Amino acid sequence: MLLTALIVLWRKSVPAYITAYKWQSWLLAAVTATIGYFGGDRQLYWVAVVLVALKGVAIPFLLRAMQRRFSALPETKPYVNTETSLLIASLLVLFAYVLARPWVMVSRLPTREGLPLATSLLFVSLFIIVSRKKATTQVIGFLMLENAIGLLAAVGTYGVPLLVELGVFLDALMGFLVMQIFVYHIHETFDSIDVEQLTRLRH
Amino acid sequence: MSAESGTLVLMVAGFAGGAGLAFLAPSDRGARLVTALGAIVGCLGGLAAAATVIVTGRPVIAVLPNLVSSAGGIVIGLDRLGALFLALVAAVGLLAAIYGVSYTAEYDGRRPLRFFAVMFNGFLLGMSLVACAANIFTFLLAWEVMAVTSYFLVMTEHESDDTRQAGLWYIAMTHFALVLLLPMFLLMAPSADATTFADLRLGARVLPTAARDGVFLLALLAFGSKAGIVPLHVWLPRAHPAAPSHVSALMSGVMIKLGIYGLIRVTFDLMGGGPTWWGGLLLTVGSVSALLGVLYALMEHDLKRLLAYHSVENIGIILIGIGAGSILNGFGLHALGRIGFAGALFHTVNHASFKALLFLGAGGVIQQTHTGNMEELGGLIKRMPYTAASFLVGSAAIAALPPLNGFASEWLIFQSLLAGTHIPRPEVAIGFPIAVGILALTSGLAAACFVKAFGISFLAMPRSDHAARAQEPHWSMRTMMLLLAGGCGVLGVAAPAVIRSLNSIIDSVPGLSAGEPVAPSPRLWLTMPDGMTQMSPLLIAVLLGAIIVAVALALHVRGLRVRRADTWGCGRIGQTPRMEYTASAFAEPLRRIFSELYRPTEDLSISVHGESRYFVRSITYTSHVVPWFEKAFYEPLTRGVHACATQVRRLQAGYVHVYLLYVAAALVVALASAWWFQ
Repeated sequence: MLLTALIVLWRKSVPAYITAYKWQSWLLAAVTATIGYFGGDRQLYWVAVVLVALKGVAIPFLLRAMQRRFSALPETKPYVNTETSLLIASLLVLFAYVLARPWVMVSRLPTREGLPLATSLLFVSLFIIVSRKKATTQVIGFLMLENAIGLLAAVGTYGVPLLVELGVFLDALMGFLVMQIFVYHIHETFDSIDVEQLTRLRH
Repeated sequence: MSAESGTLVLMVAGFAGGAGLAFLAPSDRGARLVTALGAIVGCLGGLAAAATVIVTGRPVIAVLPNLVSSAGGIVIGLDRLGALFLALVAAVGLLAAIYGVSYTAEYDGRRPLRFFAVMFNGFLLGMSLVACAANIFTFLLAWEVMAVTSYFLVMTEHESDDTRQAGLWYIAMTHFALVLLLPMFLLMAPSADATTFADLRLGARVLPTAARDGVFLLALLAFGSKAGIVPLHVWLPRAHPAAPSHVSALMSGVMIKLGIYGLIRVTFDLMGGGPTWWGGLLLTVGSVSALLGVLYALMEHDLKRLLAYHSVENIGIILIGIGAGSILNGFGLHALGRIGFAGALFHTVNHASFKALLFLGAGGVIQQTHTGNMEELGGLIKRMPYTAASFLVGSAAIAALPPLNGFASEWLIFQSLLAGTHIPRPEVAIGFPIAVGILALTSGLAAACFVKAFGISFLAMPRSDHAARAQEPHWSMRTMMLLLAGGCGVLGVAAPAVIRSLNSIIDSVPGLSAGEPVAPSPRLWLTMPDGMTQMSPLLIAVLLGAIIVAVALALHVRGLRVRRADTWGCGRIGQTPRMEYTASAFAEPLRRIFSELYRPTEDLSISVHGESRYFVRSITYTSHVVPWFEKAFYEPLTRGVHACATQVRRLQAGYVHVYLLYVAAALVVALASAWWFQ
């Protein structure tokens, strides 16, 4: 899953990002199902099914629709170039491992080794949002952040009840829809989805 | 539910009803009536509750632990001290509400009267609950309700720049008070779940000395900024004139008294009094506030600003009484100390009555003439005789003329200061006479100031068309003024009886009475415990009355008739208002004497006729008093705040990425700090 996030830093085309996100979501569903299998929690299968349906199929579809609409727009350069991005991402991963060490030590769960991974995915997603200019990329960053939180919850607590997961799904979906609308509006107003243009709104 | 808590429920319901039902009123006039009706019901409930508690001495306790239980719940505990202040709130609130019906008539269709109804009733509710609160959360909640609603009331006429400035100063100072109140309570509270005043009282016994001193200083600053002690008084002369007059009457008559209430509650009730230097500090602050307040009042030519500065002066006088009482208590002279406290509490009541009266009077003038500038008034005594008479009574009371109430309370405070001779300590032997001198000077200057205020505004000829067209305000407004004027007289004449009931309040607060019950005093005399000095306001009143009657009789017997002529006509034929004495001219000698304090800026421009410079076309003289400590203290402060704000504004770069980076950085820093501090 971390690799899929790094793909975003490394590749430059939006369809590749979407594919990366799709794979990431599938992997998250797989992780959840695995935890469900070993933990003997039937509910988690349902969570995995919803994950696949929503994040693995529906959201990538919507993202592609959005992408088709804006495909004619020129690519913009990120604030940080690819090499530096990867370097910073590796530093963030290192930081996440350092940060999660005490946590891993007190945890008794079999999934504890996943905690630093989930934390680093969180940081890398945040970094994607901060360093990329295109609104679509930022939306994908946000969705990956959401995945990271889901992963953290799954490995940190050995499976979250369906009800909680449902709440998070709905949150993410709503957030995504709102952002989609925002992206369309930004496009209409500025003829671009480069959020740097928003600077013009400042007084 | 007992009858006592029933009255409190009635009070809250009245205020809530006045605020809520105003929205259902069909017209603006209906909204005004509903506002007042709710306030009247609420105030009557408050008065009933306060009266029961003062008479029976049994506190009313109501606990709603489930309401905001995490903060300790709502705890109401109305004891005698709180009841005194609740009675002040309710009495002045009642009169101000009735007065407000006609006063706000000019807002019909121009201002949101329903919003005003919410704020006005909320303000009364907040003030009442401050006096009733018995735990930290309830107190702070009521305090903030009071502060925020009064801010909106000050901002009623928000289109003028002055009002917006005043609002900014007011909200800044009131937040300053809250910011200090929080650490004060934090220092006092023994633990997070022991926040009722009873817990604090127990906890204060085991507080270390340094913490007690800290609590006292924080209380003095926080409550002092609400009460308006120098140098924290800056908001008073700005906010009082900006608010509608009946609101100013409430703010000046009652709200700033709740600062005094808080100070007494925390310092003398919860902490049970302190070392002598606390009293010394109170006395010093009081003396400075009294003197500077009246000196700046003298230079003001706007009626309401002048009254606002007099509030500073009177708060100073009250603090002098509290300070003197607390010093005398500290030296074991409890019977004498009680005189100081009784004087201070009595002056609190008195100031509420005459300051409310004067603000209502000024409101009548402003409603009729649309100006508070004395240089444009004049001659109003002929056009508004009732208002003038009430204003005159209020002026005499604030200037401490017998037999009115101001005289009685200031007499008591004087006596407590003179009792300082019993203490063989050099600092007291020097300090008390200086305080006596300052208090005497203050009273004299206050008298001069009100000669100016009354004389220039009400006597002589009108200085503008507005003043010439003025008429008596609506009867409801007049009646309220006359009631308050009557109250000033009754409180003065019945001073010994009032002191007896104030003594019972002092007895209920151990920090004030030091546990010593008072010997019952005679009914008609105010006496000092040593029996050397006594005074009977009633006899003074009778004597004065007798003199007036005798003079009138003598004049009648000699057959003198009333002859109407121009005042100070001097044989001139055509008198114009330009020949009149002005307020600036009246204050000029004092401005010269105290020029070091005032640092006046003067600007004289003479435009002469083109042909010869001996023919003067016009002379314009402007002079401004510059309050130097405001400049010295507040200007660097506001500049500093501005500079900080400009720096902070850089954070708002306008880049979405930078904002996102802030979020990410905050998360990383928070996680890293958790890892660091583990």
